[in-house]
Amino acid sequence: MAELTLDGVTKVFTEDDGNEIVAVDEVSVDIEDGEFLVLVGPSGCGKSTTLRMVAGLETVTRGEISLAGRRINDSPPAERDIAMVFQSYALYPHMTVAQNMSFGLEESTEMGDDEISEHVADTAAMMGIEDLVDRKPADLSGGQQQRVALGRAIVRDPEAFLMDEPLSNLDAKLRATMRTELQRLQEELGVTTIYVTHDQTEAMTMGDRIAILDDGVLQQVGTPLECYHTPNNLFVAGFIGDPSMNFFEMDVDGDLLVGDRFEYPLTSAQSEAVDEARRVTLGIRPEDIEIEADGSADSPSEFDVAVDVVEPRGDENTLHLTFDRGVDEPVTFTATVSGLRQLQAGDSVVATFPPEAIHLFDADTEAALHNRSLDVPEATEQIV
Amino acid sequence: MSTETGRVGEWSLFGHSLRRVVLYGILAGMGVFYLIPIETGIMTSIINPASYTGSFPYLPPLEPLVPGTGTFSLEPWQGAIDGLGQGLVNSVILVVPATIFSGLLGSMAAFGLTTISWRGQIGIYILFVAGIFIPYQAVLVPLTQFWYNVVPLQAVFEPLAVLPFVQEYHWKLVALIITHTAYGLPICTLLFRAHYKKLSDEMVEAAQLDGASVATIYRRIILPLSIPMFAVVFIYQFTQIWNDLLFALTIVQFGDAAVVTQDLVGIGVSQSGTNFPLRMAAALLAALPTLLVYIFFGDKFAKGVAA
Repeated sequence: MAELTLDGVTKVFTEDDGNEIVAVDEVSVDIEDGEFLVLVGPSGCGKSTTLRMVAGLETVTRGEISLAGRRINDSPPAERDIAMVFQSYALYPHMTVAQNMSFGLEESTEMGDDEISEHVADTAAMMGIEDLVDRKPADLSGGQQQRVALGRAIVRDPEAFLMDEPLSNLDAKLRATMRTELQRLQEELGVTTIYVTHDQTEAMTMGDRIAILDDGVLQQVGTPLECYHTPNNLFVAGFIGDPSMNFFEMDVDGDLLVGDRFEYPLTSAQSEAVDEARRVTLGIRPEDIEIEADGSADSPSEFDVAVDVVEPRGDENTLHLTFDRGVDEPVTFTATVSGLRQLQAGDSVVATFPPEAIHLFDADTEAALHNRSLDVPEATEQIV
Repeated sequence: MSTETGRVGEWSLFGHSLRRVVLYGILAGMGVFYLIPIETGIMTSIINPASYTGSFPYLPPLEPLVPGTGTFSLEPWQGAIDGLGQGLVNSVILVVPATIFSGLLGSMAAFGLTTISWRGQIGIYILFVAGIFIPYQAVLVPLTQFWYNVVPLQAVFEPLAVLPFVQEYHWKLVALIITHTAYGLPICTLLFRAHYKKLSDEMVEAAQLDGASVATIYRRIILPLSIPMFAVVFIYQFTQIWNDLLFALTIVQFGDAAVVTQDLVGIGVSQSGTNFPLRMAAALLAALPTLLVYIFFGDKFAKGVAA
């Protein structure tokens, strides 16, 4: 158990024709002892490459990775004292569960056979797979294989766990269960963990902190709520949260934002934040939009809109709303309301964008100019 | 005419549809067609050579019950065992190690060229593949020169002849073993490489993270997962090397080290004529080991081909 530090870590792949592709660009994160860090981003953003560099499966082009204060850039994977859980589980198909779990101990420690089988039995009991130890991976269900893969990592008692989308091959129900269980296990064991996923729900629910990566560049590192409420930029704002934040391109005209379909007044604090920017992107989360079924817009932050599509989810409804009435393919934005609200496509409603829920981003740099106000403002680690 | 088993409106014969009757008729005909040569061989091999001439080779030797079929005798088999005994022993000495070495080395080479990644491996692999396309005829003269004039294998082997079971002429078999191993290596590597490409990279990476060295990954992960492919390679190499005559003629040339294919060439041929029963018995005897290999490893072979 130890702290893991990535300092300016960069990976450049050189293609056969000499083209250089920067997969990971100057990523720096400090992961504290026992912390659960979720590395999240869309496919191809470099999150798996980052993880593989930490594991020693890829070389590091520039920068430094250290574990417990020891530089591990050039150590082979075997000497890093790191265990990894793969998306495909990567179990050894010809070995039983017990053999799969003892393999790492046999290869990397001086333990005797008795000690190894004791460790394996303890871990199997902890993972609830003690009845499966004599089976081969092919005879196990996906969820059981997943447990064996986790058990194989845990039994090694490594300095750090690396997990590469370990839950993505499970069905939705099992994934939710394993999410909780994995969190509980990690807390119990207190092992520093990097968890890679493309699923923002996993990122939000599991991590002590999340690191959001896009196109090889780290966008933000913070607690899930920091990233949710005070995103550093447009990408983070759009990536975190489901359904995604709504964005509107607006021109700045003094204290007024002027868009294609509506105008929005700024508070004095907001217009101060906007400062010199000429064009901004206005962002508002679907759950912050207030919907009134009756009445008409009678304040500058209220708008008459039409319901285009209703997606019922049971607990809540996702409304696709539009300013364009009677158009074939209208431009829509989303709002979530309680699942008990009776709304239908075609209804006219009043949507309110509360001033305190508004995010503003520079339209050119995409950096956040102003984030929504919270009762307890939290500082976010700034990425330079 | 229609019955319960036949389809509606189909002709049937004794409760079987005409289609089936025709199908089985053709299958039986093809079975006979394929088996007649072997049956003829077996029947010929148990006829007394003296009574062979003029008999029908595919009929069992039932004289004096059926005239014109020859008299029964195991004399040809006795002659074949006597004539090929030394060759069979030499062939076994050659084939078993050559098959194991070419399979094992092919598997190791494929592991190094596929599972482990390093700079320049494609170039090396292309050299391996090119080996498949070198015609045997092109290497016959260099091969003779190599084993007889360049490498002093015979001189090295002389002192070893004092050991039990080792004969001085065995040096030729050692040369043959090395030659067949080298020549079989490319195709074995190719077969194993196709198999290893299908193995999960993540599994090998997991083993690396578990602390296994390259040698351990091969021994504990790759080798156990190669068993079906080893069955394929062993059957293929066993048959190839057992049936080879060209390299044996080139390297052994003649003498005590002659392998079974070489002995087979001359058996039963003399100035007084050809002893067909003896030749048939010898051919069957020489083919028997490959047949046994197919019977014992056939199911594993099928698994390996499907893998």
